[in-house]
Amino acid sequence: MIMNKYVNPDNLYIARSYLTTESNKTGSWRFLRPCYDEKTAPCSIACPAGEDIPRIEMMATQGLFKEAWEKILIENPFPSVCGRVCFHPCEGSCNRRDFDSAVAIHSLERFIADTAIRYGISPELEKKPSRKQRIAIVGAGTAGLAAAWFLSLLGYSCDVFEASSEVGGVLRWGIPLYRLPLSALRHDIKQITELGVAIFTGKKVSKEMLSELKKKYDAVFIGCGHSLGMPLSVPGENLSGVSEGLEFLRQIRDGKSPVCSGVTAIIGGGNTAVDVARSVVRLGGKALLLYRRRRQDMPALALEVEMALEEGVELEELVAPAVISEENGKILLTLQEMKVEGEECGRDRVIAATGKNRQVRVERILKAIGMQASESWQQADRTDNEILTLSHSVLDSRGREAVMVLGGDIVNKTKSVVDAVASGKQAALALDILFQEGIEAVVPKLQACLVGPGSSLSMEIFMGGERRLRNKHVVSYEEINTDYFRFSPRVTQPRLLKEERIQSFEEIDLKISAHMAMKEAERCFNCGLCNQCDNCFIFCPDTSVILGRDHQGRHINYDYCKGCGLCVVECPRNAMSLGEEKS
Amino acid sequence: MPTDVLDRELVHSGHVGCPGCGATIAMRFVLKALGEKTIMVLPACCWSVIAGPYPQSALKIPVLHAAFETGGATATGVRAALDMKGDTETTVLTWAGDGGTFDIGFQSLSGAVERDENFIYVCYDNEAYMNTGVQRSSSTPYGAWTTTTTGKDWKKLRKKNIVEALVAHRIPYAATASIAFPEDLLRKAQKAKNMKGSRFLHIYASCPTGWRIPSEMSIKIARMAVQTNIFPLYEVEEGLRYTINYRPKEYLVREYFRLQGRFKHLTEKDLDQIQQMVNEDWELLLRKAGEHV
Ligand SMILES: Cc1ncc(C[n+]2csc(CCOP(=O)(O)OP(=O)(O)O)c2C)c(N)n1
Ligand code: SF4
Ligand SMILES: [Mg+2]
Repeated sequence: MIMNKYVNPDNLYIARSYLTTESNKTGSWRFLRPCYDEKTAPCSIACPAGEDIPRIEMMATQGLFKEAWEKILIENPFPSVCGRVCFHPCEGSCNRRDFDSAVAIHSLERFIADTAIRYGISPELEKKPSRKQRIAIVGAGTAGLAAAWFLSLLGYSCDVFEASSEVGGVLRWGIPLYRLPLSALRHDIKQITELGVAIFTGKKVSKEMLSELKKKYDAVFIGCGHSLGMPLSVPGENLSGVSEGLEFLRQIRDGKSPVCSGVTAIIGGGNTAVDVARSVVRLGGKALLLYRRRRQDMPALALEVEMALEEGVELEELVAPAVISEENGKILLTLQEMKVEGEECGRDRVIAATGKNRQVRVERILKAIGMQASESWQQADRTDNEILTLSHSVLDSRGREAVMVLGGDIVNKTKSVVDAVASGKQAALALDILFQEGIEAVVPKLQACLVGPGSSLSMEIFMGGERRLRNKHVVSYEEINTDYFRFSPRVTQPRLLKEERIQSFEEIDLKISAHMAMKEAERCFNCGLCNQCDNCFIFCPDTSVILGRDHQGRHINYDYCKGCGLCVVECPRNAMSLGEEKS
Repeated sequence: MPTDVLDRELVHSGHVGCPGCGATIAMRFVLKALGEKTIMVLPACCWSVIAGPYPQSALKIPVLHAAFETGGATATGVRAALDMKGDTETTVLTWAGDGGTFDIGFQSLSGAVERDENFIYVCYDNEAYMNTGVQRSSSTPYGAWTTTTTGKDWKKLRKKNIVEALVAHRIPYAATASIAFPEDLLRKAQKAKNMKGSRFLHIYASCPTGWRIPSEMSIKIARMAVQTNIFPLYEVEEGLRYTINYRPKEYLVREYFRLQGRFKHLTEKDLDQIQQMVNEDWELLLRKAGEHV
């Protein structure tokens, strides 16, 4: 029995308490049990690379830009590229949309990468001990380089073979500089080579060379992408004035200025078509964009289309080339008018409007209607059910030679940069599992590394990081306690004016300041994550949240917690849960 | 807010407050701000029980249990005794419920502050006599069910405006505070601590048991009381200088009432009338603060 140290020796004739209430274990009242329970953010499952967006933005809010950059790199070696050209599906599922507007995740990714460039910092990432297997990678596009990145982190040595004089694939040769400056691309690639990846440029891999590689290496990853244009299948398409849009972009990226005088017709509605049209304008020509559907059906990013039109690109919707012929050194293009009728595959179907033809005279035609593999061995034989067909890669481990893996555009359903990253990651993880545990383990182990209930893989989870502990439940808007957030306008990405844009291939999107970036990052709800706000500690009526040095920074004292549930409701970000007490 | 203030803890676990009790949250906040050198006068109320049966105490400071109606008078005596001993540093704090403040303890409180006794008086307001089983007090709001205002006879009289009654005494400091706004509450308690004379804090403290609300909602409801203007956050110095501390979000009172069992009998018409009463009170406050446009 401890007497109160202030007890006066003179008898006051007042009864004085000398014990605390701590001998009452009020935890026995509890029938609901609160606990710390970090969950999955919707943006992170929408990201094909499975980036830990709520954590990245939390770090950016705190000014931890290097850590934020490393958090991206563990899932995606291309933050500088993706911060510029990614179609950012993350923003489309951001919970903040229901509050005011989505967090500018895309601009923030670019800011974080640019900051790493500015300070010339190197990432410190966990690397597994060396493995004996060696891997050859054919094609140094996004998928191949991403595969090399993840395989290197997993301890494998990688040799990359590239036909062109510089690596990067479409990023290097197919995307105009005004969207992706060379320095931005090279910075991401530098991180990959600094991991020890050996790159051999000017090495075109033939069928014969491939059989050599199969003997020398334990696995060969093929990610050569699509380099052969699709045919228009109309008379006259082989005339000299008709060529590939991607080839046109390649010439520009090779330092040439292809002639663009007069009107150039561009056929297609994807990003390549828009890139070609805008490049034509920049080279002083007139661009006529011809698309068989309507503007709202174009696969190109809506913002890109909008900027193209501002810059003077002319768009004709609902027209398809019917006949191409030559007339006095010019191209005479006969267009079939199309009309919308019925539906197919969930979108409006367009069909030819009979008897409605029109002719335009143009200087040249550039096709941008999609690409295919240039060699048959670069394609997956999807009919063979002995090979393992995954969402972003195909594995063939039959025979005694190297394991063959196909990835990137040749297998991906969505042909985007970030899907190519996903492909390289999936291939790398699958190979590691295959080498260490055998082919049967591949599917179940990959399954265990998915982000929440989605289909994106996480390297951090695979490497046993903190993220693996996260509940797969996806936080909904209703689960955010919005009383703790204030309306705040989304950052507006500063851009060059249209007059400035058409003068050169200068990058259009300008930098945002660190102040703007931190303010924007602060808008993020950090859905499902604890940011140490301490609300649980502050509001506990039972003094049962104990601050400590443990991993969480605090813990619940279940001896006294009565299970009122206040901490769970007052957690702004749904990083706690209330479950039934098991007696 | 210095973290050592927020981190210090003068309330023990193991007390017998109901789950989600707003009054215990209020106590934690106020004692964090006032610190160890505080002596408490505690007239009969829920907290008399929460503070623990002899020989236990839930508080790390000395507590003097006092008769229901004597919050002001007992504090006067304690202050005089400390002063005689030469201890001017220790803060004397009366901690009383709304029954002990608005009703039975009112004359004692009025007398003490009229003499400008040097102490802090906190009324934690749960809007009824909770300790004895939810009887109405003059703090019970218009529209509420209690065990003495049941069925069709729900309370049809306004809540007494206790802060204005104290302001009328021209005391150095009178303020409202809410358990849902910890920073504001701690700042006000610290401000009161650093002043002399009679200081009065009126703290909104939800009561899940008496209000028929789920325990996890007690902060949410306290926050809504402020957001809807039902319980505005403001402070008055020297009975003259008004400062409104929170600009409400123009939420409708309806939202606040809908969440609570004690109001579930109210019709849309009743709620419209209550909205008008709240608007009227808010305009009056704006006028006093010189902010009316
Ligand atoms: C003179 C006297 N009358 C009645 C009581 C019984 N009693 C004890 S606490 C209490 C109600 C207190 O109500 P309030 O001050 O609002 O505090 P709460 O219990 O609601 O926290 C009553 C009526 C008493 N202790 N003394
Ligand atoms: S608020 Fe942040 S964590 Fe939540 S969905 Fe948006 S970006 Fe992701
Ligand atoms: Mg009361």
